Amino acid sequence: MVIVGFFVFVALTAPWIAPFPARSYAGLYSGAAGSPPSWEHPFGVEPSGIDVFSEVIHGTRNDLYVGLGATLLTVLIGVAVGALAGYFRGLIADTILGITQVFLVIPALLLILLFARIFAVLVFAGLGLTLIVLILGFFGWSGVTLLVRGEILRVKELEFVQAERALGAGTLRIMFRHIVPNVLSPVIVVSTLNIAGYILTEVVISFLGFGDPNTSTWGLLINEGFTYIRTQWWVSFFPGLAVVFCVLGFNLMGDGLSDALNPRLRE
Amino acid sequence: MPGTLLEIRDLKTYFFTEAGVVKAVDGANVDVKPKETVGLVGESGSGKTVTALSALRIIPRPGKIVTGSVTFDGEDVLAKSEEQMRQLRGAKMAMVFQDPSSSLNPLYTVEKQLSDILMLHRKLSKKEASQRAEYLLDLVGIQAPKTRLKAYPHELSGGMKQRIAIARALSCEPSLLFADEPTTNLDVTVQAQVLELMKKLQHDLGMSMVMITHDMGIIADMTERVTIMYAGRVMEAADTKTIFHDPKHPYTEALLAAVPRVDQRKILEVIPGNIPNLIEPPPGCVFHPRCKYAKQACIDAVPPLEEVGKGHWAACVRWKEIRLRGV
Repeated sequence: MVIVGFFVFVALTAPWIAPFPARSYAGLYSGAAGSPPSWEHPFGVEPSGIDVFSEVIHGTRNDLYVGLGATLLTVLIGVAVGALAGYFRGLIADTILGITQVFLVIPALLLILLFARIFAVLVFAGLGLTLIVLILGFFGWSGVTLLVRGEILRVKELEFVQAERALGAGTLRIMFRHIVPNVLSPVIVVSTLNIAGYILTEVVISFLGFGDPNTSTWGLLINEGFTYIRTQWWVSFFPGLAVVFCVLGFNLMGDGLSDALNPRLRE
Repeated sequence: MPGTLLEIRDLKTYFFTEAGVVKAVDGANVDVKPKETVGLVGESGSGKTVTALSALRIIPRPGKIVTGSVTFDGEDVLAKSEEQMRQLRGAKMAMVFQDPSSSLNPLYTVEKQLSDILMLHRKLSKKEASQRAEYLLDLVGIQAPKTRLKAYPHELSGGMKQRIAIARALSCEPSLLFADEPTTNLDVTVQAQVLELMKKLQHDLGMSMVMITHDMGIIADMTERVTIMYAGRVMEAADTKTIFHDPKHPYTEALLAAVPRVDQRKILEVIPGNIPNLIEPPPGCVFHPRCKYAKQACIDAVPPLEEVGKGHWAACVRWKEIRLRGV
């Protein structure tokens, strides 16, 4: 929670706390290019003159944007489709589940790489991160859908649903006022873990060079540092550290939430 | 019949499952007069609950009412639209369920759950509804109703939850209340309190009640008339005294023999076997495989519900020949 809070704070204030603007080659002119960590450049400088500390901070903002944005999209699609699949029976549910399963087996990362390349070149040039958010969300919702559907099927059979019907509540009211809220706690837990997963995916995409080369992200930074890892280790090391802590933070928060929301463990 | 509040005639509710058609209710007849308490007795799976759900038309899928009629307050319930049914449920006919810990939504406070219905049916404002909710809690005997209004279900004991479920069912003063084993999940002292409360409220509000239970003690204590069900069919119906003293159906006798008594030291008699498979019920009388009086005639034909005395009905071909023991 503290770790996540710290990263969110950094992300929100990135433009003000970063000593240098994003993708600025200032170091080239001051002669600091390629220098190791120092007081002036705490995480060192890339041989191209980019300050790694500033870059990591800007990367935080962008990576959290991807993680949160893609998760939001995933949850929106996942809950809506899952609710439909849980509510309807027969052909409609089977169709929805079939489509969901297709999305579940697609090797998402490969397609993401493919789409990222194609769209980045053809259509969405300059859209960068938002494009990645859209693709991640579009390919990631199936897990949430299955979760929501399963939970809805469970909650639907609970006695209070029948009690509400016996008291004269209508279908929509039961669905959105009584069933869906009871389904949300596992969704919240899974979303938190999803954020970590999406950040990792974004790092992979950028590291492989399929991201937007003009947007600071941790993966891009690791990618750039990879070339000079023997001589200027700090270029890859510090963003890597950021990734580790951020993902760890979200995973811990997920575990914590899952405990906090589990009524059996609640005092 | 005039003067009848609820009249269920030859009701058949089947569940169309993949394994076959489950005949959960297969020809039930129940009458409830105004201000009267009728007991619906039978083992688990005998169709008591489904009969009540059918009257409210909230049978879970894949269940369906196949034939029969349900008349409530002179109106044909089965002919009503879903919209009309919604206005009926909770307002005129209400139901209290078996398990108080799961019949309240865990996410909302007591106040919200109570005022929701009042706002829905009575169109009360939020403030009026909350005032009435407080009054209702007081009515069902909950101490410090003001503080309890803000409580969530998990903060309350089982007995309190059931009181709240009762308050909720009574909030719009229905003329008929189905109580589906309202005390099975409560311990004995609380059970007695809740039953006492229900009796009092029924009397004060002048409503009718259908008491679904398998506890003959509750029947003796609470009801004026009883309908005994087995495997979805009515075995016997009469006023409570007659059922206890002069049963005319072997199943009733067996049920009575299985009740522990303080005044007699004897080993309880169990009814051998289990309730039959409702997909393929036994031919003839459904009870014959477990009946100690069974004969060939019981297998050959389904016994009709015959009037064996004034207001006393039994479905047994041998009721004249056999002498049954009551209590």
